[in-house]
Amino acid sequence: MAGLEELLRRHHIVICAGSGGVGKTTTAAAIALRGALSGRRTVVMTIDPAKRLANALGMRTVGGSNTVVTGEGVKPGMLTAMMLDQKGAWDELVERHVAAAETRERILNNHFYQHLSQSFAGSYEYMAVEQLCELHASGKYDLIVVDTPPTRHALDFLEAPQRIADFLDKQVIKWFVRPYFSAGWGTLQLMNRTVGFLFRRLEEATGVSALVEVSEFFASMSGLFEAFHPRVKRVYELLRSRDTCFVLVASPEEQVLTEAEYFCRKVRELAMPLRAVVFNRTHREITSADDDLSGDEVGRVVRQVLGEGAGAERLTDNFNRYEMLGRGDGLRMEAFRRVLPKGVTAIEVPNFDSDLHSLADLRAMHPFLFPE
Amino acid sequence: MAAKTTLEKLFQRRLLFVAGKGGVGKTTTACALALTASHLGKRTLLMELDGAGRAAYLLGVEPGPIGIPRRAGPSLSVMSVEGSAALAEYLEIILPVKRVLQAVFASRIYQYFVAAAPGLKELMTIGKIWYEADRMDESGERRLWDLVIVDAPATGHSLQYLRMPDAAQQTFGGGLVGRESQRLVDLLADPHLTAVNLVTTAEEMPVNETVEMYQQIRDELRLPLGMLFVNRLHRAAFDTSVVDQLDRKLRKLQNRRERTIVAEVLNRGREELGWSRINELYLQRLANEVDMPRIEVPFLFAEEFGLREVHTIVTAIAREASAAARVGAAHGRA
Repeated sequence: MAGLEELLRRHHIVICAGSGGVGKTTTAAAIALRGALSGRRTVVMTIDPAKRLANALGMRTVGGSNTVVTGEGVKPGMLTAMMLDQKGAWDELVERHVAAAETRERILNNHFYQHLSQSFAGSYEYMAVEQLCELHASGKYDLIVVDTPPTRHALDFLEAPQRIADFLDKQVIKWFVRPYFSAGWGTLQLMNRTVGFLFRRLEEATGVSALVEVSEFFASMSGLFEAFHPRVKRVYELLRSRDTCFVLVASPEEQVLTEAEYFCRKVRELAMPLRAVVFNRTHREITSADDDLSGDEVGRVVRQVLGEGAGAERLTDNFNRYEMLGRGDGLRMEAFRRVLPKGVTAIEVPNFDSDLHSLADLRAMHPFLFPE
Repeated sequence: MAAKTTLEKLFQRRLLFVAGKGGVGKTTTACALALTASHLGKRTLLMELDGAGRAAYLLGVEPGPIGIPRRAGPSLSVMSVEGSAALAEYLEIILPVKRVLQAVFASRIYQYFVAAAPGLKELMTIGKIWYEADRMDESGERRLWDLVIVDAPATGHSLQYLRMPDAAQQTFGGGLVGRESQRLVDLLADPHLTAVNLVTTAEEMPVNETVEMYQQIRDELRLPLGMLFVNRLHRAAFDTSVVDQLDRKLRKLQNRRERTIVAEVLNRGREELGWSRINELYLQRLANEVDMPRIEVPFLFAEEFGLREVHTIVTAIAREASAAARVGAAHGRA
């Protein structure tokens, strides 16, 4: 099996994961475009595309949450691009799950909440998977391509739902809520000296008011938490289902590959279906591919064609420098391929001589992603 | 009189943050800066936040345990920092009863609290950074480090770190954490002590993020800015005309082998020209929109990236910095 064609045919959800700065958004867009061109109703859920790519996909940034625009001219299928709003993810979570307007207001105005929603990483990732579940359930699309958020660690995306569920665990919440709303300090101390000790210290450190806010926050949100664990369970079920496949996007740099290796291992532990790795911006050595072609010969031919001079010399130097890059990239990618589990397709997309920003540019990736 | 280089001025502070989008060479830049400072005789500590010890590896040493400095040169040490470890360390300072502490650390509630309490880890990390920046040596008469350089995590996350003391101060008001946070806010905002440096490449997405981050640091966080490092710049040593000329010749070539060779040379030439153009375009945008002294670091053609390559960048940075100082001196300061 070469290329991603087979993957697209067999799966309903394609999740592009990888660390930041490796061309994940572009790859996801190119995959989605292919889906649409082959006649499927396709949606690409993306995060923060480059402005020109967003334009190419027909997206305009409208303030607020999800922007959905259907691109024209992608026949015979259909391509919809959807952009998630990174900043309002928690607010949206609250608005979506808390029915009573009064409770909603109380949560949104709570200091602890405001602090939390600014800084608790993972809410956005959670929103992304929740959105994914919704798109899946809607039945409106044949193919859903997800561009995961640009986290430092590719794995954050997978772990975020569980982390949020742990955070909102009912058992833990009880501890936070109880001291102020039911049992009071005395009971708490009797029940658990360690916790009592910790709370007293925390109260000294933070000031009472802060802890009251914390408790109030948990009390307000308690209704929401009931539903959380089953939801997270459903999310993981969907991520593990036969409909879903993961594509790891990487580049041939040492640091990225180290991270990618870790991701591959972890994804197996979590039983998520990793099916392909796409290396972007790769270089390959040309002179070694053909045993009797040497750097010397390249220089000779260029001089012969262009005539002696600075031009020939510089172009040859340039060629040799790229050969060096190619040698390094090649070695690293080979080493990486050797540790890839069986059944994972590895694809190399070369470094293009420009940013990829239009639908036509995205198509330039297709011969590599979907070789004939 | 020789003008002070921008770098020398930068190194007069005590704490330098190095921040930027993922994959633009942030750690490399932080390492190069730390090496440069240590070459100038500064006793330098490089702190890597939430990192996998990559800074240590780049400097050619094995990473040490979390929170412990490891020597990486005559006046250079490197350390990994992690939020929960920093919190444990902090609690050990404020709660001196060991046995109780161990029970606290082991309890599930504590672990959830640390994971849940928003920003606590970030706050503790910043606290740990200042602890190192302020730390006295054994004589008790001078500081252990002249300069602390922090390799911050990717963009969004590094802003979270920088934002945390202020947010905590607002949330916790008058308590101990509130007072501590206020102290950190003051220290971070002092332009004699701190500078936030940005790292980027001259391409669309990284530049977008850099411009945004620059504005946030300047207008919202109001923290002192240092220098802007632009990495991986392609500058083709040839122009379009010679590439076009080769293209015309290629069309007339009969020999298949020669055609193959020339076509590849042409591709590489185009690639280099293409990236040079992109870099040029976005350098211009940075010049227009980010008002920070800029250091331009060329793309490094290398098979592998290691200490030798970091040294090449150290040289490039030094050259750029002194060139910038000469230009500054020539223009005079009216």
